[in-house]
Amino acid sequence: MMKKLSGARIVIEALIQENVKVIFGYPGGAVLPIYDELFKQNKIRHILVRHEQAAVHAAEGYARSTGKVGVVLVTSGPGATNTVTGLTDAMMDSVPVVCISGQVPTHMIGNDAFQEADIVGITRPCTKHNYLVKEISKLAESIHSAFHIAKNGRPGPVLVDIPKDIQTFETKYGGKKHTKSFTFYKPNTKPSRDTIVEFVNLLDKSKKPIFYVGGGVINSGSRASLYLKKLLKITGFPCTQTLMGLGATPTSDDQFIGMLGMHGTYEANLSMNKSDLMICIGARFDDRITGKVSGFSPNSKKVHLDIDASSFNKSVNVDLLIQGDLSKILEMTLKYIENKKISFSKEKISAWWIQINKWRAKNCLSYKNSRSVIKPQYALQRLDFLTRHLDPFITTEVGQHQMWAAQFLTFNKPKHWMTSGGLGTMGYGLPAAMGVQIAHPKDLVIDVAGEASILMNIQEMSTIKQYRLPVKIFILNNRYMGMVRQWQELLHGNRLSESYMDSLPDFVKLAESFGATGLRVNKPGEMDDLIKEMIKIKGPVICDVVVDPKENCFPMIPSGSTHDQMLLGPNDKLEGEISEEGMVLV
Amino acid sequence: MAESHSKHILSIMVDNEPGVLARVVGLFSGRGYNIESLSVSEVDSDKFLSRVTVVTSGTKNIIDQIKAQVRKLIPVHNLIDITELKSFIGKELILMKLDIKQKTVLEVHKHIKNIGAKILFEDKTTIIIEFSGTPTEISGLIKKMKVYNIVELTRSGLVSMALGKDYIRR
Ligand SMILES: Cc1ncc(C[n+]2csc(CCOP(=O)(O)OP(=O)(O)O)c2C)c(N)n1
Ligand SMILES: [Mg+2]
Repeated sequence: MMKKLSGARIVIEALIQENVKVIFGYPGGAVLPIYDELFKQNKIRHILVRHEQAAVHAAEGYARSTGKVGVVLVTSGPGATNTVTGLTDAMMDSVPVVCISGQVPTHMIGNDAFQEADIVGITRPCTKHNYLVKEISKLAESIHSAFHIAKNGRPGPVLVDIPKDIQTFETKYGGKKHTKSFTFYKPNTKPSRDTIVEFVNLLDKSKKPIFYVGGGVINSGSRASLYLKKLLKITGFPCTQTLMGLGATPTSDDQFIGMLGMHGTYEANLSMNKSDLMICIGARFDDRITGKVSGFSPNSKKVHLDIDASSFNKSVNVDLLIQGDLSKILEMTLKYIENKKISFSKEKISAWWIQINKWRAKNCLSYKNSRSVIKPQYALQRLDFLTRHLDPFITTEVGQHQMWAAQFLTFNKPKHWMTSGGLGTMGYGLPAAMGVQIAHPKDLVIDVAGEASILMNIQEMSTIKQYRLPVKIFILNNRYMGMVRQWQELLHGNRLSESYMDSLPDFVKLAESFGATGLRVNKPGEMDDLIKEMIKIKGPVICDVVVDPKENCFPMIPSGSTHDQMLLGPNDKLEGEISEEGMVLV
Repeated sequence: MAESHSKHILSIMVDNEPGVLARVVGLFSGRGYNIESLSVSEVDSDKFLSRVTVVTSGTKNIIDQIKAQVRKLIPVHNLIDITELKSFIGKELILMKLDIKQKTVLEVHKHIKNIGAKILFEDKTTIIIEFSGTPTEISGLIKKMKVYNIVELTRSGLVSMALGKDYIRR
């Protein structure tokens, strides 16, 4: 005989069935029954964050570094509304997260009860799906569906809102297997064979091809990365990656020509612009990538491989669409190439590589180093050099430091780079690093931060202390919201409206007050010692790297411009005024 | 290069669960798509399915994007673009209340009969008529009846069906 369980207990049992090991959360009145059940078991570890936004980012970091679903538990009202930024972030970057929120009891819904918020209404546009569980009989089904939806197809966040009375009601629960038909959601993952044939034909014909690789490859799993690596090797084609795609294949590979987009490399953006065949794999022609759409890669045939049909022809029209799971598409492609014994002539693309290498020779990421002041790029180059052998997990905040990290760090494995791409959420990096560290307790986890961003979730130092997470925080402290200042210099007559970071804390003392180690460096000559010491210290460290306040991030494609209108350095002037159309772009 | 906009009738089969209409409508408003007409009602009470008919317009790219986005909604079972099928019918229902104090009842009755509308209710001062037809016929009716004093009217929004063997699968 199946025993009757309370709703709260069913939540815990269902999470165990979903193989959940860790949840990130914060208690409150409307989830107390669930917290009570958490207390009575020892299969699931609860990490108490200090702000619900951080719980979601931590779950994102956990998910992105493991490929598993990240789980969040929060209370109703303010607890739930605090998750909105995190959920939106997970939505934009396709991160599988399940967020369980408490709700006022069903009979009080709609009454403006204490700590009531219509979180299902609020999060409808920023989740892949959400549920309000109004009957205990639907509880198990909703939770299992949430996991199913979060991780299948294009991943994303799912919220399950559970009123407090539902948590106390009782019903039978026979496990996931015996939970009656949950969602019919079953995205198409298998590509059609005809499109694969056409795809290989295009690959075979091209003289100026380029692989444009996004985060979808990483989401599809390690097999997708492996197959892509193989395809790169067989074809010899150049490869560029988006901010989300970094590490999908090793960025130290010779065929990798750098990140593309607004702060991408000269060679990557020009190759996109001049190519005759663009192979977009798991990316979405985001506006940071395309620049001005009408001038985007005007002469190329475009192939788009993606699991999400709504990504096709959204901003850029493509010639061949292949819908399906990327690892399946790539596997079928490789098999077809092998069966038909197609070999790709390296000669056909040799002129293209000569051209690309000329662009490469511009050395677009070079900067003028200094002996007296630390250049942020230099700090990151040293960080990369001194940590690469440890394959660190890197998270970032948002701003110039994020772009420099993308440009200067090496990513040789997928799932080692966690940054807020689509939403650009300042405050993402520190909690994300916590989540990563929880999943990989022995590994080196570094949050490359800006001094402005880090303050947005600095309270998480307390969580870091509590769980003894040896997260390293590498602040490129330029005393400015650098990215904002850069745009103001470029587009707003150098009027630095509210972008100076006054009254910053002493980050060393701040670290100490949270029981962490604080280190500061001012001189380029001391950079290496600081990094070595940071790695050596077993616990959490905040490094206050005092860098040049006025350095800007190049190359840069000003908004509303095309890939061949890049600014390469501080002395590169805009050609004429930025168009009105460009000025209004974000 | 101005791309041409065209009108599309989308028939969407959804789970009849709370919030499902908000998902569909929210998607349209959130992404800036146009809704010209909307009608929704449960059509299968055993399987709890509702059928939503949305009339929208846009360039081919936008329409394709709308369809792909709607299909992504979890409670959406199926979507067909009726306008893309060989042939279809589309009908709307209108109820109209006229103020007949000024005119002779006889004249109004004659007019209504000619048009093919039905009288649902009548008293000394007002008359409610019902008419179903294509959107063009409905607009025509409204125009004609303007000579009387239309005090209120309500339209159901378009419902539509393809002819022959094309039909929306559950
Ligand atoms: C939550 C949030 N608010 C505002 C912004 C806009 N924004 C983008 S970058 C940036 C400045 C970041 O400054 P800092 O963290 O010091 O990084 P830096 O650019 O100086 O490296 C701001 C305010 C944002 N991305 N996120
Ligand atoms: Mg800064």
